[in-house]
Formats: sequence, structure tokens, C-alpha cells
Amino acid sequence: MSQVAIARRAGAPRKERTGLRPGQRVFVWGALIPIFLYLGVFALFPMIWVVVLSFFNYSPVRVGDGPFGLGGRNPFIGLGNFAAMFAETQAGQLFRISVKNTLLFAFLVLIVNLAITLPLAVLVENVHNRVKGLFRAIYFLPTVSSAVAVAIMWGYVYHPQQGLLNNFIKMIGLTPPKAWLTDPAAFVFGVPLAMIAVIIAYVWMDFGYNLVIFIAALQGIPHELRDAAHIDGATGWSEFFHITIPLLRPTLLLVCTLTMISSFQVFVIFQVMTGGGPQNQTRSLTMEIYENAFRYQAMGWAASMSLVLFAMVLIVTLVQFRILRTDWEY
Amino acid sequence: MSAVQLAASSSQQTPHRQRSLRPLVRLLIYAILLLGLAVTLVPFVWILLTSLKPASEIVRIPPTFFPERWTLDSYRTIFTDPKVPLARFYFNSAFVAVSRVLITLFTSSLAGYIFAKYNFRGKNLLFGFILVQLMIPFQVVMIPAYLILVQLRLIDTLWGLIIPSMVDAFGIFLMRQFISTFPNDLIDAARIDGAGEFTIYRRVVMPNLGAPLATLGIFTFMATWNDYLWPLIVITTHERRTLPLLLTWYTSQHGQRYDLTMAASILVLLPILIVYIFFQRWIVRGVALTGMK
Repeated sequence: MSQVAIARRAGAPRKERTGLRPGQRVFVWGALIPIFLYLGVFALFPMIWVVVLSFFNYSPVRVGDGPFGLGGRNPFIGLGNFAAMFAETQAGQLFRISVKNTLLFAFLVLIVNLAITLPLAVLVENVHNRVKGLFRAIYFLPTVSSAVAVAIMWGYVYHPQQGLLNNFIKMIGLTPPKAWLTDPAAFVFGVPLAMIAVIIAYVWMDFGYNLVIFIAALQGIPHELRDAAHIDGATGWSEFFHITIPLLRPTLLLVCTLTMISSFQVFVIFQVMTGGGPQNQTRSLTMEIYENAFRYQAMGWAASMSLVLFAMVLIVTLVQFRILRTDWEY
Repeated sequence: MSAVQLAASSSQQTPHRQRSLRPLVRLLIYAILLLGLAVTLVPFVWILLTSLKPASEIVRIPPTFFPERWTLDSYRTIFTDPKVPLARFYFNSAFVAVSRVLITLFTSSLAGYIFAKYNFRGKNLLFGFILVQLMIPFQVVMIPAYLILVQLRLIDTLWGLIIPSMVDAFGIFLMRQFISTFPNDLIDAARIDGAGEFTIYRRVVMPNLGAPLATLGIFTFMATWNDYLWPLIVITTHERRTLPLLLTWYTSQHGQRYDLTMAASILVLLPILIVYIFFQRWIVRGVALTGMK
């Protein structure tokens, strides 16, 4: 995401503009032409085509009489799909619910994730080197697991009667919720309980990434800075807030961006664990795109929704670029 | 994903000095870390133990944590189920994952090398296109990609899972970053010795790419092995399912038989966990270096 800036810096000193010798030309273009022809078909064309489709009421089951099956019974409707997003129809409402859910999910995942990984990284940094690797390796374990298996596993953990979680809650003498994943009337601070359950399962699966990144960044903080702070009388907490956090700012920004963007794109855990329920409380934008495109074959509508997803990713990325411009050096 | 940024910050690892913490604080730190460890591991242990219980024990309320009677019945049921030719599904997943790894490593290192070490017209434009690719979520291009596969008659084939992802923008970017640091002298020396350009790539550059190739390879393997959405769209025939698809199908068939569904989950998780145990260092370091996801 911030690669563009980096690439520009890394490729800066441009040497002679001599170009290539004949033998090199064959090699370079012999390799790049097939690769970019391929990318033209499987990367550039889809990017253009998704925009085109978003202007049509397109379904692959109808045969249009124009080129590529467009036109005729797959008519051009201009901005009709985008207008439908704001309409008081069922489709429009579902779309808005799914966007709201996706934003809520991404926002809460970010907060919970940071609240766990940042302190945990500091703690891991403080233990002996030999066990540090072990902790890190085990914390990272869920991230390599198949998302489907994790979703099925957590579905069982949340089982109202047989599940691990409710029985644990009962064991310590509290009253567990009636159902984690299926009760539409259960809310915690206004957030549907099922959404909270999905967030817990997702953070459990995903926190290892940010943890590893934070640990690496903490190791990069020059020790002289901390030592100097100590001489000046800084204690653990003030060191954390006045030395560690400010120095981690670039990493923090990167982690926030990546976590947001990947949360926007989460699909499996919603689809497999809750199927969007109860009462669409966990219906994500990705689910909405998938179901409309491949279950109802409403691909024009789905294409326009996927452009909204793209816009969300783009906005977060641009905000990151913008903030990254402000200088940080140490 | 900003590789360099992180690489820079983690490469200057100052030798870690153990600061003296008060014993009580140290104890507290270990207590918290062990709690985290428990939260991470207990769900895995729980489903493993569940898969080792007899069916009659599953439905008991409250459930047992450890099996009262240990049994491999659930695994036996899966292995002997004629509708679940497991070897077939393992083969499907492995075939797709290995093919994608090999192809991705080849195209990424080749294009990465060219972008790192050659100057030619249009280079910035082409590389810019690669960088733009990094920002496109899969869900945005999946509808056109599906329509292309329909045209190519690759729907419901394993090749349909391989062919749309033979060139990986992130892989090219990663390789370019690594190869940029590779000394030009070696390449020039080979050139003076009369080596052709492809020979230089294969004999001089490739052998020095062990670490980044391993990292990229492992990540491509894991991502493909765990991929669900694209196979869900492309594959319709039961025998061509990959393991994650098999798992959701199997769960839909045996909803309440948690001994069976958890055993099936273990069977899907096991290969990737073995890969992780062997390559753990590479994987964790790869994330720290690249922020790969």
C-alpha cells in the first residue's frame, strides 16, 4: 500500500538511459510481453470490466444481443445500480446494512486487535530471548490455519449448550448468553452479540500478524533512546507512552491501514459461522457481493457494490499516504 | 505491506539487552503471556479432544473436556465414507497449491529481476501497474475473472484455480526489492564470461534468492491451501473440491455430529500445521520483514 512511495525512493538514482543491448532486449521483452499480456487479460481487463458491468443490469443467465452479452436483455442503466444503493428497496437496504456492518466490524476489529497486540508485543519483548520465539510462534499459529476450519471450530466453541465458551462462563459462576450466533435480540453496547462473536473469532485468528510486526518494530527501537529515558527518570508507563508509542508511529499507521483493509475483505468467517444472520446483523459487504453475483446472478448490481468496496479500500490507503507524508525520523 | 519500511526497522536490531525487572513484575508478565497462550491453544485442543470422543459423549450436557472413552471412531467413519475419497481431496488441494507456488516463484523472480536490474522504456509505467495491482481487493475483480473463466471453459476445473493467479503482483514487488540489493558486479562478470541473459537469471540470480523464494513460496502455499472464496465460485463437482470446500460440505451433511465435523477440521488443519512447524522461522520472519498477509 505504501509501496508506491517506497518504490519511488528505492528506484531513485536512475543511471544511464542507454536502454538495452539486442540480447538483453530479447530476454527482457521475451519475458515481460507474455507476463503483461497475461496481466492484461487477468488483471487489467477485470478492472475495466467491473466498471463497465456496474453500468448494466447484467446477468450471465440472460443473453444480451450486444457485444460480450451486454445490451438487449442486459440493458445499460447508467448510474441505476448506484442509485439503487440509496433506494428504499430491499436490495438497497441490504446493501446499506452490509456496508454499515463491514465498517462496524473493521472499526471494532482494529480497536480490539490493537488493544491486544500492542501491549502483548511489549510484554513479549520483555521476556527472555529463548522463550520469546516460542511465544511468538504459538501466538502466530491461528493465522496460518484454514479460515474455514477456524470458523467451524469457533461455531462449536459458541454452541449454546455444548460449546466451550458457555460452559466456561457457567463454570466461573456467570450466566452465559442464550445463544451467541443466532439471537437477534442480544446486544452489547448496541452491537449485536453475533457481530461481537464474529469479531472475537476473527481477532483470535488474526492477531498474530500484528503482534509479529509490532515485535519486529520494537526490536528496531534504538536502545540508547530507552536508556536515555531511564537516566532521565522515566518509568515503565511513561517510557511506553513517551518513547515507545511515538517511535512506533509509522508501524502503527501501517498496521492500522492493513488491518482495516483486510477487515473490509473478510468473507469466510461471516459466510461459514453466521451466514450473515441473525436478521442480517452480520451480513458483510463481501457476502452481499458474493451472493448477488453468484447466487442470484445479479452481476451488474454486484459489480457496482464491489466498486464501493474498492472505494473503501482506496480511501483508507489514501489517508495513510496523506499521514505518511508528515515526517517522522529518529 | 510496506516492505522496506519494516525491513529497515527490523534490520537494525540492536542486541537485546535484558533489563532487570522486579521479580513480581516478571511473574505478572509471564502470567499474562501464558494466559494468552492458553486462549490461543485451547480451541485447537478442544476440537482435537472432541474428535477423539465417541458420538454418544458429544451430546452430553454439560460436555466433557477430556474424552471419557478415547476413540478414533470419527476418523474411521470419515476414512471409510465412500462419499469422502479423502486422497482425492488432498490431491486437489496439493496440486493447486504446488502448481501455484512453482508458477508464482518463476514469474515473480523473473519479472522482479528484470525490474530490478534492467533499464528500458516503459519500465516505470509497467512497474506502476504492478503497484496498482496491490491495491485491488480480490472481490473487486472476481466477477470479471469468473466471466473470463467461463469463456475459457475452465469453470469447474482445477486449472481454473491456477490459471487466474499465475502472476502475483506482490511477489514481483517483493523479488524486485530483494534483487535490487544484489551486487551488479556478479551479473556483469557473468556477462563478460559470455553468459546469456536467461542463463544469468537462472545460474547467478536464482541461486541467491533462497530466502525470499522460500518466504514467498510458503505464503503462496498457505494462501492457496486455505483459499475458500475462489474455489467456492469455480468448483461445482464434488470430486474436484479442495479441502476447505470439502469441509463446509461435510459440515452441512453432518451438522450435529461434532465428533465428525471436528475430526474433518483437524484433517484439513493438519497439513498446514505441519508445514508451519517446519517453516515457522521463515514464516514469522517473512511477516516481520514484509508485513505480508
